[in-house]
Amino acid sequence: MPTVTIDDKPCQAQIGETILQVARRNGFWIPTLCHHDALPSYAACRICVVEIDRGGWWQVVTSCNYPIRGDLTVRIDSERAIRGRRGVMQLLLARCPESVELARLAARMGVRSTPYPKVTEAQRNCILCGLCVRVCDELIGASAIARAGRGVERAIAAPFRMPSEDCIGCGACAAICPVGTIVVRMHEEEVEISPFKTRVKLKRCAACGEPIGSELVQQALARRGGPKVVELLAREEFCPRCKRKKLAKELTAAVPRAGSGQSVSQRS
Amino acid sequence: MTAENAERIAAIIQRYGGDAEMLIPMMQDVQAEFGYLPQAELKELAGRLRVPLAQIYSVATFYASFRLMPKGDHTIQLCMGTVCYLKGADRISEAIQREFELVPGGTSPDGKFTFSPVNCVGACALAPVMVVDGEYHGGLEVKSAVEVLHRVVESDRRGETAAGSPARSVAGSGNGSKQP
Amino acid sequence: MSIVQTRLESVKDLESLRQRVLAEQDLIAHRVRVCLGSGCRAKGAPKVFERFRQAAAELGDASLVVQTKCTGCHGFCERGPIVVVDPGNIFYQNVREEDVPEIWRESAVGGRVVERLLYHDEETGKPATTCEAIPFYNAQHRIVLAHNGAIDPTRIEDYLAAGGYAALAKVLGTMEPDEVIDVITRSGLRGRGGGGFPTGRKWRSARDAPGEPTYVIANGDEGDPGAFMDCAIMEGVPHGVIEGMIIGAYAVGSSQGYIYVRNEYPLAVKHLSIAIEQVRELGLLGEDILGSGFCFDIRINRGAGAFVCGESTALMASLEGRVGEPRAKYIHTVESGLHEKPSLLNNVETWANVPHIILKGAKWFASFGTEKSKGTKVFSLVGNVKNTGLVEVRMGMTLREIIYGIGGGIRDGKAFKAVQTGGPSGGCIPAACLDEPVDFDRLTELGSMMGSGGMIVMDEETCMVNVAKYFLQFLRDESCGKCAPCREGTAQMLDVLTRITKGEGREGDVETLERLGELLEDTALCALGKTAAYPVLSTVRRFRDEYEAHVQRRQCPAKECPGLFRYEIDAETCTGCGLCRKKCPVEAITGERKAPHVIDPEICTDCGTCFDVCPFSAVIKV
Repeated sequence: MPTVTIDDKPCQAQIGETILQVARRNGFWIPTLCHHDALPSYAACRICVVEIDRGGWWQVVTSCNYPIRGDLTVRIDSERAIRGRRGVMQLLLARCPESVELARLAARMGVRSTPYPKVTEAQRNCILCGLCVRVCDELIGASAIARAGRGVERAIAAPFRMPSEDCIGCGACAAICPVGTIVVRMHEEEVEISPFKTRVKLKRCAACGEPIGSELVQQALARRGGPKVVELLAREEFCPRCKRKKLAKELTAAVPRAGSGQSVSQRS
Repeated sequence: MTAENAERIAAIIQRYGGDAEMLIPMMQDVQAEFGYLPQAELKELAGRLRVPLAQIYSVATFYASFRLMPKGDHTIQLCMGTVCYLKGADRISEAIQREFELVPGGTSPDGKFTFSPVNCVGACALAPVMVVDGEYHGGLEVKSAVEVLHRVVESDRRGETAAGSPARSVAGSGNGSKQP
Repeated sequence: MSIVQTRLESVKDLESLRQRVLAEQDLIAHRVRVCLGSGCRAKGAPKVFERFRQAAAELGDASLVVQTKCTGCHGFCERGPIVVVDPGNIFYQNVREEDVPEIWRESAVGGRVVERLLYHDEETGKPATTCEAIPFYNAQHRIVLAHNGAIDPTRIEDYLAAGGYAALAKVLGTMEPDEVIDVITRSGLRGRGGGGFPTGRKWRSARDAPGEPTYVIANGDEGDPGAFMDCAIMEGVPHGVIEGMIIGAYAVGSSQGYIYVRNEYPLAVKHLSIAIEQVRELGLLGEDILGSGFCFDIRINRGAGAFVCGESTALMASLEGRVGEPRAKYIHTVESGLHEKPSLLNNVETWANVPHIILKGAKWFASFGTEKSKGTKVFSLVGNVKNTGLVEVRMGMTLREIIYGIGGGIRDGKAFKAVQTGGPSGGCIPAACLDEPVDFDRLTELGSMMGSGGMIVMDEETCMVNVAKYFLQFLRDESCGKCAPCREGTAQMLDVLTRITKGEGREGDVETLERLGELLEDTALCALGKTAAYPVLSTVRRFRDEYEAHVQRRQCPAKECPGLFRYEIDAETCTGCGLCRKKCPVEAITGERKAPHVIDPEICTDCGTCFDVCPFSAVIKV
């Protein structure tokens, strides 16, 4: 079992783990933006760089995807590694000056401001980490959005910058966005995923009319899961509250009231 | 999209044995046949190939040679390689854009020209070089470059009066930038 | 007339075919070779060739066989179109369509020399009959380009007659894969695409890598502006690349190869496609090659216009039908490349060296060059140099020998300022270093790099800040946009450089450029991003005073950046013709007819029209 020495602390590691995994398990904090445990590493934001000993010289590598192949000495806190991380953060701040989430992370890294002007208007407050595209493609299986264009003019968009026909309105992209740029908006009859302009039909609770989510999500799940899922989803006509109410009602009717029995409502 | 065009897409896919890995060559063939990458045809390609449209769109916008808008009657490729640049290609570029109301990657309002500044075409001895419809024009200056294009317009005009019908292949679009 | 019909079953079959080809060639007494490389093609060579072909077809004399053929790039693009007539190897330059009848009558049929179309030495005025007598050629040492200009790239017979596929026969007939790798390792060959990684070691890693299948790939996505070496090789000797790849595939145990060709090189694609068809027909590609049991085939993929695809992992992504985004190489592509399988990628020029090394031996190859850089290197010598073109020289030749000896020095009697090597990520080398030898390591020490072999010569009127800006603009446009430092950093650097060249530079700008440059080198994902700042860093290092002149004094010493110098009319030279006055868009020029004119600096917008139109060069930059 290899030993990874991080800022002088020896840590046990498995072959094939990343530096980030080992560091986190041992209580070290390394900032990340484009990384998510549910997805393979992409190493695009470069905010997680650390230094490693290459025998005589130190190399700056991204911790999120550098694989442990043997003993390794890592410096998170070296001057060069910190300079690298802060430098990248300054560039990102210039691109996304309005993101509260990004400013918060920057502050934690000791970056209060950026010396650079905003040089592109390609997309507001998007750091192009690609998490939304990857979650949509690799986990949801919808592939509704893409990285469009290249370089500094690149943007995340649905094909032809029109509402996507493949979007199921699940909102995973919004949930995973680290800078709060993607938002799910509920309209009267539709769910809108902003800024992609996609709208899908909104499902409302059959009882109280509260919005539950996208209708297409259920269909997609049904397609992927088969008859069993269809059966389970058939019960999903109600919002969680109404479901509980309904269950409580059914139970009250079904279970005869005992003198000192537990209140049914406590079970939920 | 017509059934005939759907057949053409199917034939292109067939050419590569339906191998999704050959997406880029297929898209090159689509562009060669249609002059650009029309939306409906790309959707057809995505559907038949079972490749997400989003992937096709990102490929189409990533590579400089793909066009999502129709091109003009004539294509101008202006070499922006180092040598051409040092010998004034940028000034030629500005002049052409001014003269024919073009933007890089775009088509002139009259649909005559599509203008693409390109990376080195490998004819550095002729710098600055402009390739018009595949024909090389070397050793250019601002004036001679504009003249070359005026001659193209002129010969079209004469061709039109002679043949009686304009040889326009596609309708011009004011702005042929990559993103519609 | 093709005698290449049947499939070759053995090495012996190949040799007997070669003998038949040679015998047939001996029957041809006269030969006209027209260069149809991209440079000559652009200068009208196809029409010249067509005229020769017509003349040959109309030749009534059955006893005289004159063969006309097109060849790949001769290298001397400056003097194109180039026509060579045999016997005598007579070298004609700047040949125009109307010169064809004379060359045909006098030289091709008559066997005499048309002196006016020969190359004449600039100083002595003496004519050179053959290319060996021209300084541009005689200091070169051609291995990879040896057949360029001699053979018709679309005729496999020509390649066979020149000894083609003999190296493959030797490998399949007499060598074990390990022996092949050993020869390449001992030859000292290093990757010609930029990195300079030892080729033998790469092959060894690919052979040893676990997993199947193994792929071999030729990188022909030559994207460096001002470089066309690989283009000329693929167009001129496509079989050389293919033969090298088959040998490499045998050495590492691969059955599938790819050639990735840049989109802007349609002729290279055509010639490679023809060549592949020819070798497939002969059975030199496909199943059981020459009866050895070894199977291998090659597919050509055209690039679609993205410089970053010259980077190996981006190229592989592109081959898989995806966007050309690089990925981390913490696990090398020889272990996990295309489809996450072992993949051996070499540059086109590297592959083209392989057959020569196999045939003539590692020792022979290692006898050229410097201690750590063996063999030759092809450069595209361009810019403000007299003899623009493609040159192949021994490693270790000095920059001065290349630029002044072969290139003939600087155009128009101007002074040399710098030479830019290594493509957009390379650096600018100043006059003080002209006597440095050119090899991988020395160029790196000088703050530049070998790269793929672009060599752009700049004279005193070139503004180095503007040069840096040009490369930054290029890299900003070609950045794939995946990693933040490259995407955002190149844009920020360009922003600073643009301001400086407009005279809006600020105190601290140069330091900002240096800081961003260092950040990119440390944190960017791929080689494009890591080296994107080199043109800036190297010009800051060598020409810091020029940056300071722009920033502090608002002056462009090279007088190139508009607004940072003024136009004046030299009263001595001005004839008072009035052309500038008529052409000036803002009426800033005044003067009587036949009297010196004057520019009013208050009105002048520095557009440069007067400078361009003055027939007497009386408008000067100050």
